Amino acid sequence: MTDPDFRDLVGGDLPPEEIARLERVDRLLRATPAPPAQVPASLTDAVARIGTERRVWTPRRVAFAFAVAAVLAAVFFGVGRWTDTGGSHYRFAVPLEATASAPQASGEIKVGDRDPKSGNWELQLNVAGLPKLSGGDYYVLWLAKNGKYAGTCGTFNVGSGTTTVDMTVSYRLKNYDAWVVSRHEGGAPWLLSARVS
Amino acid sequence: MPVAVATAETDGRLIERVGRGDRDAFDQLYKRFARPVLAMAVRQLGDNGRAEDAAQETFAAVWRSARSYKAERGSGSAWLYAVARHAIIDRARQRREQAAEIPEEASADATPAERAEQSWLTWRVHSALEQLPERERVVIELAYWSGLSQTEIASYLDVPLGTVKTRTRTGLARLAGLLEEVRE
Repeated sequence: MTDPDFRDLVGGDLPPEEIARLERVDRLLRATPAPPAQVPASLTDAVARIGTERRVWTPRRVAFAFAVAAVLAAVFFGVGRWTDTGGSHYRFAVPLEATASAPQASGEIKVGDRDPKSGNWELQLNVAGLPKLSGGDYYVLWLAKNGKYAGTCGTFNVGSGTTTVDMTVSYRLKNYDAWVVSRHEGGAPWLLSARVS
Repeated sequence: MPVAVATAETDGRLIERVGRGDRDAFDQLYKRFARPVLAMAVRQLGDNGRAEDAAQETFAAVWRSARSYKAERGSGSAWLYAVARHAIIDRARQRREQAAEIPEEASADATPAERAEQSWLTWRVHSALEQLPERERVVIELAYWSGLSQTEIASYLDVPLGTVKTRTRTGLARLAGLLEEVRE
């Protein structure tokens, strides 16, 4: 193979400093082996699938996630700790931690007073960073017990930024050990609390 | 006259976006680095199939670990180079070969340090080529690695000779800007 002639490539009408600049690039190119002519479509297809595979949440993995949350609760929070809610009428707030299904997500559940007549708890759910769902898909807020989804609190969808959803639930909170946000009913945990109250 | 380098998003910025789960940034990063990664893998593994596997693992690792990238510790290109090199060495080790320092084609007699330097230089040049407009990249690759003359390139691409010369000169000038900090 014949090496290209530099003057033939750039012509002879450039100022000396530009010639020097281009000569340096010319030397770098001559010292460099050829890149592959093209990237195989099989590689592009394989890379396009990266990050799109749904993580498989077996019951064992879900139980493990809940167990980790319970340990965190015991170590860092204890049971029944009340959280400052910034002067609102809510009695306490529980942070929701992101799981591997949505590492960018965050959330919080604020719990208000329990209506003495009906027994319902007033809730406010604030979430951010969850992907917007399409095709009729939705998220579910659960109360969980011993690594299992035990009671549905409501369904919701998200927009951009922070989404706020007001709900009421009739459950006795002390009977549960975690709040969970999942996609559809029974899907993998996307957000998980380390305690209920 | 020097040609201004297009103000594309930096590699580091793209990696930071990937770290936040931005799929579009990941696709841009793939377009920019697929050939440099594959070229390095082919040179070091000497086998197209295994090189493709290593390239795929590189981008999977980028997706998984982009959040660990810290701009203050170095450029995005250097971070991605390290990720790719790690994936390639891992792939080679799986086959129980002496892969960690397989000589580069261009410097078979070089010391390990020289080989590492050559690998980094090749990476930078290939990465810079990917940032050129397609029409400029093609004429430069044909000129330097196909052995075609300017007239033959014009005939091959079916464009006037003057167009080939303009694109070549413009592309070289753009590369000069992209490779300003590269040591020879």
